[in-house]
Amino acid sequence: MFVKLVRETEKQLLDIGQHVGPLTVAAQLVLQAAPPLPTRQHTRLTTQLGAAREAHDLIAQQSRRLTNGKALPHCKIVNPYDRTIAPICKGKSNCPTQFGRKPGLIAEPASGFIFAAHLPVGNPSDHRYVLPLVDKVQQAITHVAHRPVPAIHSLAGDLALNDTALREALHARGILTVGIPHTVEPLTPTPTQEDVHRMLTEAGLRRQRTPYQVHLACACGYSRPVVESIITSLLCRGAERIRYQGHRGAILQLGMTVMAHNAATVVRIEQHRLSKRAQKLRRLLGLRRRNVNQFNASKN
Amino acid sequence: MMRFLRHLQHWLTGHGPRLCVADFVPKNHPLRQWADTFPWPALVAAVDRNFAQRFPIRTARGRAPVATRVLLALELLKHELSCSDEQICSRLRTDLAVMYACGILDIQVDGSQEHFVLPEVLAQFRSRLDETLMEELLALQAAAAMEAGLVSPAHLVVDTFPSEQGSQRVNDAMTLYKAQKKSSRSSHISSRRARRKAKR
Repeated sequence: MFVKLVRETEKQLLDIGQHVGPLTVAAQLVLQAAPPLPTRQHTRLTTQLGAAREAHDLIAQQSRRLTNGKALPHCKIVNPYDRTIAPICKGKSNCPTQFGRKPGLIAEPASGFIFAAHLPVGNPSDHRYVLPLVDKVQQAITHVAHRPVPAIHSLAGDLALNDTALREALHARGILTVGIPHTVEPLTPTPTQEDVHRMLTEAGLRRQRTPYQVHLACACGYSRPVVESIITSLLCRGAERIRYQGHRGAILQLGMTVMAHNAATVVRIEQHRLSKRAQKLRRLLGLRRRNVNQFNASKN
Repeated sequence: MMRFLRHLQHWLTGHGPRLCVADFVPKNHPLRQWADTFPWPALVAAVDRNFAQRFPIRTARGRAPVATRVLLALELLKHELSCSDEQICSRLRTDLAVMYACGILDIQVDGSQEHFVLPEVLAQFRSRLDETLMEELLALQAAAAMEAGLVSPAHLVVDTFPSEQGSQRVNDAMTLYKAQKKSSRSSHISSRRARRKAKR
């Protein structure tokens, strides 16, 4: 979208629109004071006045939301003041899409393995994705036969997940929320002992989670490049555009894409093709894969 | 007739020696490595169980269906290789790596193409998959990775991303279908009018 061009035209529209508000109020007063009009005509004039007032409000509202985004890959004519633009662009300054769906995913930050994906009907807030996703992960954990059964220790996310009710719900399930920021300030990857103590006390998980787990949660944290790499991998596999019909089709396409991505991730893990950060996190999590072919005796 | 034969093609068995697919796909081939990561028995069992509940087979008659393993692998390969239904089904006939990924162990050398799958069959299989089943398949894959000690759900990250709603592509098949539908509708209307006139 040519934001500069929109800004130029928008100035003129807003200047003209400034006078629309008082004028419509005055016109409505005149309409009420005028000799009785036929009902049909009265309704038509009232509707037109309301539409004129709303049009200005809409331009002002959309103007505040408009941000610089990515260029569209293909030629597409878009109305920047279209109401339908607003929902999908909510919280997505880099969103190249005006219409579509917003899938949510829950993944391991170390390797990028996606444990579950969620595609709700409509466009709810980001924090509403979390509990269904956590439920799905716990459902997957029930399929694991070996002991000890894995558990979710912490959850990270961006500022959109900063919701008090969500934090409480996650704490009730024994999940730390140190990776979800309260403000725009970056999280500390290496907290002090006092900070760890405070985090555990605030979450009410002093008996369930250890300081080491808090340290790990802070180290994992939320990294935008990591999330972007996972999303890019999905986009490369066709998640950029929903091609199947309807909500069921969208779920099906997303599910298959996620499974294909996971298989590729497992191949990368098996071949040790991971970033330094991922290798370190996996080592801390005790997921380092021993090379059985390596001869461990002295090389001298 | 030809269309009917095409439907039967995958079911016909050929003659001559059989070719072991695994011998011709190197162990370090990306598709082989990719396919080997899936817990196929668990996934196929989940799909079969779900289909048996939702679409019970009332009779034992009729030709044998295409294996669930093949169709599920084709659907996954379609996304991995960014192919259309037709492209992936055509690759299944010639690409040994795709055959390996689909769990086809050996094929007839004389080109009988018994492993042939029509794009329509793949679309029909896809239409039977639902949200619950997809969640189950993903959960099974995640559980297998956890079981193997490759991943851990201890520390997770949540995020969302926008996905554009794809528009329907204009292709020859769709144009022909629409034209046929339109012509049949117009002929139906004209015949109805003629009947009305005749009544009058």
